[in-house]
Amino acid sequence: MRSPVVKKSLVALAALLAAAPLAAQTGDPAGWRNSQPEQPAALLIQNATVWTSGPQGKLENTDVLVQKGKIAAIGKSLAAPAGAVLVDGNGMHLTAGIIDAHSHSAVVGNVNEGSHISTAEVRIADVIDSEASEIYQQLGGGVTTINLLHGSANSIGGQNAVIKMRWGALPQDLLFDKAPQGIKFALGENPKQSNWNVEQRRYPQTRQGVEQSIEERFLAAVDYRRQWKEYNDAGPGKSSRVPPRRDYQLDAIVEILEGKRLVHAHSYRADEILMLLRVAEKHGFKIASLQHILEGYKVADEIAAHGAGASTFSDWWAYKYEVIDAIPWNGAIMWQRDVVVSFNSDDDELARRLNLEAAKAVRYGKVPEEEALKFVTLNPAKQLGIDKWVGSIEVGKDADLALWSGHPMSTYSRCEKTWVDGRKYFDRDADQESRKKVAAERAELIAKIKAQAAKPAAEQKAGEPAKTPTYNQSHGDTFCHSSDHPHSEGQP
Amino acid sequence: MTLFANRKKIAALAGGLLLASAPLVAQDAEKVLVLRGATVHPVSGPPIPNGMVVVRGNKIAAVGAGLDIPAGAEQIDLAGKHLYPGFVHAGTQLGLVEIESVRGTEDTTDIGNFNPDHRAEVAFHADSLLLPATRAGGVVAAHVMMQGNLFVGTSAVMRLQGWNYEDMTIASPVGQHLYFPAPPPPGEGEGKEEAKKKRDEALKSVNDALADAHAYKTAKAANMHGLDVNPKLEAMIPLLEGKQPLYIHADNKAQIEAALDWAKEKEFKKLVLVAGQDAQLLTDRLKAENISVILTGALALPERKADPYDGAFTAAAKLNEAGIRFCMADRGTPMLSRNLPFNAGMAAAFGLPKEAALRSVTLSAAEILGVADHLGSLEAGKEASFFVSDGDPLEITTHIERVWINGEEVDLENDHQRRLWHRYESRLKPAAPASAKR
Repeated sequence: MRSPVVKKSLVALAALLAAAPLAAQTGDPAGWRNSQPEQPAALLIQNATVWTSGPQGKLENTDVLVQKGKIAAIGKSLAAPAGAVLVDGNGMHLTAGIIDAHSHSAVVGNVNEGSHISTAEVRIADVIDSEASEIYQQLGGGVTTINLLHGSANSIGGQNAVIKMRWGALPQDLLFDKAPQGIKFALGENPKQSNWNVEQRRYPQTRQGVEQSIEERFLAAVDYRRQWKEYNDAGPGKSSRVPPRRDYQLDAIVEILEGKRLVHAHSYRADEILMLLRVAEKHGFKIASLQHILEGYKVADEIAAHGAGASTFSDWWAYKYEVIDAIPWNGAIMWQRDVVVSFNSDDDELARRLNLEAAKAVRYGKVPEEEALKFVTLNPAKQLGIDKWVGSIEVGKDADLALWSGHPMSTYSRCEKTWVDGRKYFDRDADQESRKKVAAERAELIAKIKAQAAKPAAEQKAGEPAKTPTYNQSHGDTFCHSSDHPHSEGQP
Repeated sequence: MTLFANRKKIAALAGGLLLASAPLVAQDAEKVLVLRGATVHPVSGPPIPNGMVVVRGNKIAAVGAGLDIPAGAEQIDLAGKHLYPGFVHAGTQLGLVEIESVRGTEDTTDIGNFNPDHRAEVAFHADSLLLPATRAGGVVAAHVMMQGNLFVGTSAVMRLQGWNYEDMTIASPVGQHLYFPAPPPPGEGEGKEEAKKKRDEALKSVNDALADAHAYKTAKAANMHGLDVNPKLEAMIPLLEGKQPLYIHADNKAQIEAALDWAKEKEFKKLVLVAGQDAQLLTDRLKAENISVILTGALALPERKADPYDGAFTAAAKLNEAGIRFCMADRGTPMLSRNLPFNAGMAAAFGLPKEAALRSVTLSAAEILGVADHLGSLEAGKEASFFVSDGDPLEITTHIERVWINGEEVDLENDHQRRLWHRYESRLKPAAPASAKR
């Protein structure tokens, strides 16, 4: 685990600010400096329209009781335990926290380790940026859990990290500790470098090569597993052999074979989808989720028969040739054919309005509203193997909740409050208050800097000038030109 | 429009001969269509319950309630439905790019920084697969602009259905477009000097180009002997004469301020600012200088890391409160131009009144682009370009059911995406899943 990233650029300002008291409240966009919001012993959200995304469906005028970060009761006019924090949900809608099954937010630096065709040994968990402003911005859109994936530069990309949006916590404390381990795979134009502006091309350059690059790694992993088995079967001290050489890459691939590591596979075209399903079936494991999968509608029955989830864009298309047949009815068709469907963002900005992406399943294909909402709550939780704990409002589950000013799939609604583990990490009212403080703080800093600048040169301390913070807006891997720069805004 | 006037004249001359080939004619200029029963939302006025829209040929003839139905009119009952003017996209590269990553399909950006002679519409792909998808979202017209450095050429307002770019052009040139040089970032950071130098060079290019154009104009007016035609400088003359608006593209606050200062210094009177969320930081100035704004969408991240999370969502409301004439475009991804209205919807969630939100993607856009006599509202004399929906079209969950463009109903099924939808929705389930053969 790397130590948390120090924002050198802010050191100079932070030094000036050291004497000022730090705010410790929900709504501070600079919350990474704060202590965690309180987890109340009891929290009662009253009289809301509750979209459970669970067996209870949608409940009008309903209370949800949270105790110690877990959902304790759902019902009408629940008694408030002594000292409970009360939230008036009258006229508002409560949903499970939004889950994004495909994100590259809050990752330090580049998300692609594209140097080799397989880099199964590298880990997103080592490079989580707990100070990334995307965490707070996405809390403002009701997002509570995101799946951090490597990019799609290579057919076997690297190990994912599922995190909860605990704004202000250290990187290791963001990890969703019970989430199964996973890994990113990628097929098609990106691993075959179709849109890269590179001089040195590497194998493969075809979809046929992508298949074999994956197949070869699994065959190697089978051999590696056998070598270890033979060595271990001989018993301690009884083997005359030297132990096999430890290979972190094959360790991860063996975990796939053993069903201990979930494959999340970037894929678009029907042919490559079938190819990967068959490679997996041959080696006896299931693909957990097909990511993007814009031609999933063409092979929906095959996906359902395999048992893979499908995590797609609601309506993106035409940004590269392999998505020319993408259609916005993709989600609806796969859902009709019993595939577990989610809508993801792959984009820091889109991630903030996944509730409205769910609305597109209603627009295109008339998926019933409650089922459509599951595309961004329960279904991504299933795909990530975390639905035992999150994804719906059910007694015993984590209190990861979003409260909306109106219908959660209305463009006219806003997210008002977001809780993770019963802790309120976002509150629109507090956010508005906090802006005033930030403005005052900024004015104070500017005044101090100006005062310092006005002093004669001899009195000024020698020091590193403040650098302008760089701000990468998006890391979407759908349109992978190269491995060495982030995408410009507007280019998904 | 002249096209239809000519057609009418030809029809009158040719008589029966032309009637025999009537299906080849886009529409009969005298054909009357009456849409009745819907809640009619003219945008130029309050909604009309159980309203009526009368279309004659390609134009709206009347809008109201309880109107007389002309004899022989075709009638369409729209009880329970809503009728809206088609959305007008105020700024996009739609039609100029098919597949972003395939260079051969892209005509948005040229080499060089002085291409004022480029006309966006001449590469407008009438059969782009993106057009049917966009029309199905109720967008009937788009302001098509090129991109690039400094002067990129003139834009056009295009109808999204037709045979070729000529009969699809509603207005051209709409204006000359200048992508104003980006100022160096604030502070004393790395690369500051280089960025400043780059900005200064770009600004010098802009000023030199303008000086050259003035000199050329003067020389031409004086019939200077031996003056060679220079098409690029020639293209600047309408701008210098104040006959053409200057659309100036700038994103962050410092860039917008620099652009406005420059335009003031150069005495450009007809100015439209194409900008993002930072426009809301300059409302006093925009109001005082009476500058119209095309907002490049509401669906964007904050301009700066420390900005409020909802900066892009609130920008339209701030402009509206300040009384600034503005309209809503998007971030310039043609594949998503059908989602234009949802930008307005998001702005409405963050303070923009719903009526103003609807106006920002219809009438306000037409007004700023100078095509309000053709588009933007349901009013007599305008093009019959509108759609029928089952609810509020700024809501994503609403369905757009029928679309008319210039008097002609759009065949929504004539769409690559819908064809694939129907083909695969009706695919029979395989009897048994394919086995893992190798």
